Amino acid sequence: ALLSRPAGRLRARRGLAAGPEMHFGFQTVTEEERREKIYQVFESVAKKYDVMNDSMTLGIHRVWKDILMHKMNPSPGTLLLDVAGGTGDIAFRFINYVRSIREQQLQRKLKHHQNLSWQEIFESYQKDKFNSLGDSQVVVCDINREMLKVGKQKAQHLGYSEGLSWVLGNAEELPFDNDKFDVYTIAFGIRNVTRIDLALQEAYRVLKPGGRFLCLEFSHVSNPLLSRLYDLYSFQVIPVLGEVIAGDWKSYQYLVESIRRFPPQEELKAMIEDVGFFKVDYENLNFGIVAIHSGFKL
Amino acid sequence: VRCQHYPPLRALQASAALRRASDEHKKEPLTSSSQQHFDSPPVGHQPEQEPQGPRHSYTGQGGQESEDYESEEQLQHRILTAALEFVPEHGWTAEAIAEGAKTLGLSVAAAGMFHSDGSELILHFVSECNTKLSELLEKEQKLVQLGEAEKKPIDEFLRHAVEARLRMLIPYIEKWPQALSILLLPRNIPSSLNLLTSMIDDIWHYAGDQSTDFNWYTRRAVLTGIYNTTELVMMQDSSPDFEDTWRFLENRVADAMTMSNTASQVQSTGEAVVQGLMGAAVTVSN
Repeated sequence: ALLSRPAGRLRARRGLAAGPEMHFGFQTVTEEERREKIYQVFESVAKKYDVMNDSMTLGIHRVWKDILMHKMNPSPGTLLLDVAGGTGDIAFRFINYVRSIREQQLQRKLKHHQNLSWQEIFESYQKDKFNSLGDSQVVVCDINREMLKVGKQKAQHLGYSEGLSWVLGNAEELPFDNDKFDVYTIAFGIRNVTRIDLALQEAYRVLKPGGRFLCLEFSHVSNPLLSRLYDLYSFQVIPVLGEVIAGDWKSYQYLVESIRRFPPQEELKAMIEDVGFFKVDYENLNFGIVAIHSGFKL
Repeated sequence: VRCQHYPPLRALQASAALRRASDEHKKEPLTSSSQQHFDSPPVGHQPEQEPQGPRHSYTGQGGQESEDYESEEQLQHRILTAALEFVPEHGWTAEAIAEGAKTLGLSVAAAGMFHSDGSELILHFVSECNTKLSELLEKEQKLVQLGEAEKKPIDEFLRHAVEARLRMLIPYIEKWPQALSILLLPRNIPSSLNLLTSMIDDIWHYAGDQSTDFNWYTRRAVLTGIYNTTELVMMQDSSPDFEDTWRFLENRVADAMTMSNTASQVQSTGEAVVQGLMGAAVTVSN
């Protein structure tokens, strides 16, 4: 029978692994165990990550990520840190966006200089050709080696070469110096971080003054009817899809449970403010299924 | 002017960009002369003179910020003021705001605080121009009061005020049509209309208008019409130093004056005509 809403919890045996009790989906585990388990989840889903995203969200996740990019509206020269960026979805979108803005800029410049000779126009192409990204760069950071591997392969396959860097790192303890990045994004990743407050503090630390924090994550649906339908879909359909497509029921069960355990919009907003971000706000997408939180380091 | 209130009990973090207000030694008080109307927020002031120094980190007690800190709004004003210098090149866009933020030492991502079509930048500019106009008129009024200058007749005063205000657009004149169209977006109409009416109000106030009857409305409507039409003429004026525009302005103001004279004439003529008719009717009936 399909799993209905789990009522009981599995208690981890205390005594061995130290650390406070945390949730892993609807289980209760210690901090260390949680990190372990999550690492294993993503290790096993890495190869099918994108396929599963498409089938679970019926492709809508692409729209969510596009909206995130539009909200960011990066200008050329922006340095982006994409944490838990794994397979590179946000990074690739960033590069596309910046490239098109850059092209628009060049067009406008040329329109301005319509009295230039053909020679000069051609020369300006050459000059700016080496700068098709306008010095923008994205650093993709992920704790999971498998996810990074998949991301790198994807980049090669799709033809993205410049402006990308792949770094192995933990969101709770980033291997970067202070005040470095213009924008910090974490898309569908902060849910898997064991100590969210630490991740937020690290985000604050590595951002430049004026820098922006953006978080795209599953959140809480307040509309009761929609909430029921959503629950039905989540608990009945998604794990089955997981088994059928990726051969991994448990990981997708974890996924769905972790969404339910994640703090709702207002609570996350308060956590972000506590760390020191200003102008913190959130935007619900699809009635709260997904939310984008934004804050500025001022 | 005390800095605005902001949410208490922030974490004990050094605020990276918000500066101590003591750095900003010049806080312009809201122009005292604007009696009732002015809604303009505390405006960023003479940024060229402000030290663009390093930001102080707040090593304070507890988690509370002291009142000396500038608020988010003030920082936003500073960014917008800094962005104005990039408008001739980039237009009224998020790019100009990003460049402005860069000059203040902030990341370009700070432009994300504002709407991507540049509305806030334009409204900020308009509000600043209105404030400058008020100050100018206030200064001149003081001179008149001290007897150091002649009081101008109404039509000359209005011409002078509108011209002074429109001249502030000259550095941005190429991109101003774009700004006008953005100000007409439904989202922006309440604010832009508000700024416009306050400015017109101000000009009439300094012109010495103390009417309390329907004239108050007609005067403002007339001047708003004059201002808007002159602004539009200015957009496509290519004469040296916009002399065509100022001539147009002169004619419109003269029209307005004659119109008010005509109006009172018409009224008295009308009364005369009515009396004549009444007399004729009485005669006929007899």
